[in-house]
Amino acid sequence: MDTSDQKKIERRVFTSFFQGGIIEAFTGIILLQLGLSALFSRSGFGDWQSALLTLPIALILLIVVFLVRRFVIIPRLGRVKFLPERRRKLSKLIIVPTLTLIAGAIVGYIFAENASLRHIFVGLISFSLVSIIVFSAAAYFLDMKRLYVYGAIVGLVFPLGKYLETVIISRNTLPATILLTAFVFLSIAIVFLVAFLRKYHEPGV
Amino acid sequence: MKELENQGKKQTTDSLSEIMNIDRLVHSPARLSILTYLSVVEEGDAVYLLNQTGLTWGNLSANVTRLQEAGYIEVVKEFKDKKPHTLLKLTDRGRKAFHDYQNKMKGLLDIKGHLPRGT
Repeated sequence: MDTSDQKKIERRVFTSFFQGGIIEAFTGIILLQLGLSALFSRSGFGDWQSALLTLPIALILLIVVFLVRRFVIIPRLGRVKFLPERRRKLSKLIIVPTLTLIAGAIVGYIFAENASLRHIFVGLISFSLVSIIVFSAAAYFLDMKRLYVYGAIVGLVFPLGKYLETVIISRNTLPATILLTAFVFLSIAIVFLVAFLRKYHEPGV
Repeated sequence: MKELENQGKKQTTDSLSEIMNIDRLVHSPARLSILTYLSVVEEGDAVYLLNQTGLTWGNLSANVTRLQEAGYIEVVKEFKDKKPHTLLKLTDRGRKAFHDYQNKMKGLLDIKGHLPRGT
């Protein structure tokens, strides 16, 4: 067993701590918040108002996910303190998405405030790019290849919803597309959690 | 040429004789597995080792005790949320023993790769 084998084992151990559909639930909740926000904004609420109204729902659900991880998943997997290299890599994970989200928020603000730019696809494309960058950074720093796929899906949902809106003439097509994707992710998360609970039992000792 | 051949034979014999010096405490599959999974983390609890190694509680406990007695791992027993919690960590001695074992085995397997079939 050489260093590369040990790296593989370390990677396998690390990724095993994201079992139980945590990543899928997190992605689903973000999409749910964005979908509900889009739905509210098309029902007469302002863009910022809609975002603020849906934020508590997302926060409550995220707290539930955190509690499930803390009290259901971790006791079954065991507690581990990873090596300093892994912890350093994880701390870098915070930087890239944070910077990207700040840049995305600034771009979003410019588009929201500027009426002439509001209906241009550039806003959606930049949002998709932010999603892809955030998920790719997470995929790289967490060593989880499936996050690239999730990033591509999240990045595609918005332009796809907008495109479908032009085909199916309904003002709720975009929110419906986002919400449908959110429910798919949340359903996958539940399936993963059930499979996890069947595989791992809480230790008796 | 003959000198080179003799040198090669001597190296092979030296490396094969190393098999006798292999740390038997590390060589057992269960203990090797425990050391491997502890070597990739700073510290981990008994549940972590139980899941990763696939050992039973009894087997894990017996092998952990042997490794602890040899000074290869450090065991801290504590209470977390009023429940007993056993934290395990590879000591410097244990890490060295594990790496020495890895190098010896790698050397032996490299030699084996150069030997004719059936040896």
